[in-house]
Amino acid sequence: MKTMDCKDVLANLSCYVDGDGSVELRAALEKHISRCRRCRVVFDTTGRMLKIVTDTAPFEVPLSVSARLYARLEKVLSEP
Amino acid sequence: MQNDERPNPNVRDEDDVLLVERVLAGDRRAFEPLVRKHERRVFRVALAVLGNIEDAEEAMQETFIKAFRHLDHFRKEALFTTWLTRIAINEAIQKRRARKNVVPLTEVDVATEQFTPKRYESWKSNPEQLYGKQEIHRMVESAIQSLPEIYREAFVLRDLEELSAAEAAEALGITVPPVKSRLLRARLMLRESLAEKFEEPATLRTKFVHTAVDAGTAVAMRLMRAAGM
Repeated sequence: MKTMDCKDVLANLSCYVDGDGSVELRAALEKHISRCRRCRVVFDTTGRMLKIVTDTAPFEVPLSVSARLYARLEKVLSEP
Repeated sequence: MQNDERPNPNVRDEDDVLLVERVLAGDRRAFEPLVRKHERRVFRVALAVLGNIEDAEEAMQETFIKAFRHLDHFRKEALFTTWLTRIAINEAIQKRRARKNVVPLTEVDVATEQFTPKRYESWKSNPEQLYGKQEIHRMVESAIQSLPEIYREAFVLRDLEELSAAEAAEALGITVPPVKSRLLRARLMLRESLAEKFEEPATLRTKFVHTAVDAGTAVAMRLMRAAGM
């Protein structure tokens, strides 16, 4: 596989973070980020961002919103 | 109906199918556990498309009512959750179209131009421990909410709701390549906006060192020596 520049590497960030892509592609990405500090930071912090975001489990249904949903459904479910 | 149970992600889809069959056989109350289990996902996707809680609430109510009334249209070869998510996204997209004074969404994919990161400092080792739980929660939600809607949708469907690229594409009525490019952009934008809070404060010295390393030139090294570093 030809040597990748930072732009090519960035375009394949999702493959790396998601653990997809061919063995060759992953090897080429690893090779680049072992030498390129900037890409290494971007790859590392993107992975960490994803972990923080998913651990946070954002956007709970607010209790009032949930209560109104059940109240409305109650009517629909009780329709003859 | 009580909302005292959080959806259990381990409840398998076969359970959904059994509940659907019970509802169709006349046991309407069997619809309640389906709502409890999927309420959060429906709310999140509606919020991702619409961007505000009021509209997301309405879309969520319409989604469940529609799902209940059209339950006989559910084909068991699809997962119940996929079927329901599609209804939710359709409701939300219709609502967005109907909203007044809204800039019409172009159907073209605006993510073709690559996003270039601007922040290259590494992050503190446990940045999430520097802030309280609620504060992190607020930061993460506001970062996601600040994404332009097409990136927000892709991010929520793929990274929060864990739909496959093909499922997300189908739900949004687009093809797989734009889902991928939007997701990449969303991730880079979120990284950028959280980096502001989480990165190591760059000292003058690290800035110089990084400039030297990134440029890899003797010039930068000479600059550092000249600056007495």
